[in-house]
Amino acid sequence: MSGVRVMVVDDHPMWREGVARDLAEAGHQVVASCGEGRQAIRVVAAARPDVVVLDLQLPDVSGVEVIRGLLAARPEVRVLMLSASGEQQGVLDAVKAGATGYLLKSAALAEFLDAVRRTAAGEPVFTPGLAGLVLGEYRRLAAVRERAPAGTEDPAPRLTERETEVLRLVAKGMSYKQIAERLGLSHRTVQNHVQNTLGKLQLHNRVELTRYAIERGLDG
Amino acid sequence: MVTHVPAPGGFEVPLWRAVAVFRVASLAYVCVVVLRDADRYAHPLVAGALVLVMAAWTAVTAVGYAAPARRGWPLLLADLGVVVALLLVTPWVMGRPALAAGLPTLTVAWLGGPVLAWAVSGGRRRGAVAALVLGATDLATRGMATPSAINGAILMLLAGVVVGHVARLTVTAGERLQRAVELEAATRERERLARDIHDSVLQVLALVQRRGARLDGEAGELARLAGEQEAALRALISGAGPLPAGTADAPVDLRALLGRYSSATVSLSAPATPVPLPPMTARELAAAAGAALDNVARHGGGRAWVLVEDEGSAVTVSIRDEGPGFTPERLAEAAAQGRLGVAQAIRGRLADLGGTARISATPGSGTEVELTVPRREP
Repeated sequence: MSGVRVMVVDDHPMWREGVARDLAEAGHQVVASCGEGRQAIRVVAAARPDVVVLDLQLPDVSGVEVIRGLLAARPEVRVLMLSASGEQQGVLDAVKAGATGYLLKSAALAEFLDAVRRTAAGEPVFTPGLAGLVLGEYRRLAAVRERAPAGTEDPAPRLTERETEVLRLVAKGMSYKQIAERLGLSHRTVQNHVQNTLGKLQLHNRVELTRYAIERGLDG
Repeated sequence: MVTHVPAPGGFEVPLWRAVAVFRVASLAYVCVVVLRDADRYAHPLVAGALVLVMAAWTAVTAVGYAAPARRGWPLLLADLGVVVALLLVTPWVMGRPALAAGLPTLTVAWLGGPVLAWAVSGGRRRGAVAALVLGATDLATRGMATPSAINGAILMLLAGVVVGHVARLTVTAGERLQRAVELEAATRERERLARDIHDSVLQVLALVQRRGARLDGEAGELARLAGEQEAALRALISGAGPLPAGTADAPVDLRALLGRYSSATVSLSAPATPVPLPPMTARELAAAAGAALDNVARHGGGRAWVLVEDEGSAVTVSIRDEGPGFTPERLAEAAAQGRLGVAQAIRGRLADLGGTARISATPGSGTEVELTVPRREP
């Protein structure tokens, strides 16, 4: 598969150029590249990328805001995050805001190109670190649920046993193929399980945001 | 924001100033009393001279106690001695009839000065000692225990204890504030460094590693080295930072302890929120994980993944690698030779913590060590 339309957002010119060159050499089309989040949100509708390769730490706006803005301007776009500093709360927030892929900047070129291709195909791109963060987030939600008084409405998502199993194996560095072999599942099923874990978090995040907006009277 | 923290010992400065103010104020009261009662004293002129002595001593102590270096025993003992001497000559100066008539003694409240000085310098006990010495001298020289004299002595004792207590509290609070400010400054500096490193060095190292990975020979080797440094630096700046001193029993974030094992070949997956454990448990668990990682490195190396999970009632650390590691044959061989292998050492550590270690090798997906420690309810 070739010809993924990619937009590169990174405030380091050296990186932006390097990434754009690598993508072009691999046969992809770099439709836009910018160094600022606000600029990216402005041009995304006109540039019509399939995938946005986004540096999570931009100087003007937070990663979460950029992702929300990008998805609002072009709902079908997929966001692949890059970060230089490792898996932290910011990465988790970005995933909850709608990013479907995450890579460390130190990832090998082949790994990066593969991630772009998979993100364009709608597959979630997880690092083991991101899987650990997502697992931790579900456990945090479960702990909050346990502390809540009985009878309260419980909109927080939970993982099925199978999803937990799959996510744990991703966090321990196993590839989807290895996981499929170990659990006797198809590659596609493993991928769906991973996707569901993200989808539920993102849906929950949107519900929470809407509820917050209604509570504050911001929905009108 | 600039926070002013006095130099060590500087927290007592306001207290010493308050003692000096007390002496000046009580000296003014002494003047009033002596002017009013002088005609009933046996030796009014000597009384006047003694007031001058008190004024001089007030000045000496105000200057003396102002400098931390001079707040030692010589000045404290001299202070107490001067007031005791004044008390001793008081009956002669005032005369028995004046004392018997219930007139206030010459020093009135001024004799409280040394009590406050002792209390500020050394806390409750010193304050109480000075108050007892002066109270006893006062009662003994009067030769009689009038209710007002006893009241005065008890008030002085209470003042000594209370001021001593407050002085200790102030100094402790000041020292805590200073520690907190130092810690905050260190954290800020660390965050600033982390930002700088992130914005410059990490980006460049990652780029060198990426672009160099396609080159052969020495350039490829340089790229690999850059990658290693990038991983080490990333682990360094994403760690939870140094633990504050003086909190030996405070829970420790397990992620911070495991962070130092993360490298170009070891990936660490953990929750975004802290994983608190008692310090002993956290250290032992991290050491067990480290032993498992050492074992990976010894048997051919290769990549390894560490996963930290906080299940509330228990904490689990899993270590997985794709090398030969702990094959069942190797474990059986070690057991047969009666050797305490790495596996046994890890199991032992976990058993000491009341936890369990599960070690398994699955063909095709590597070796896994799973360390689980229960969390005791606080």
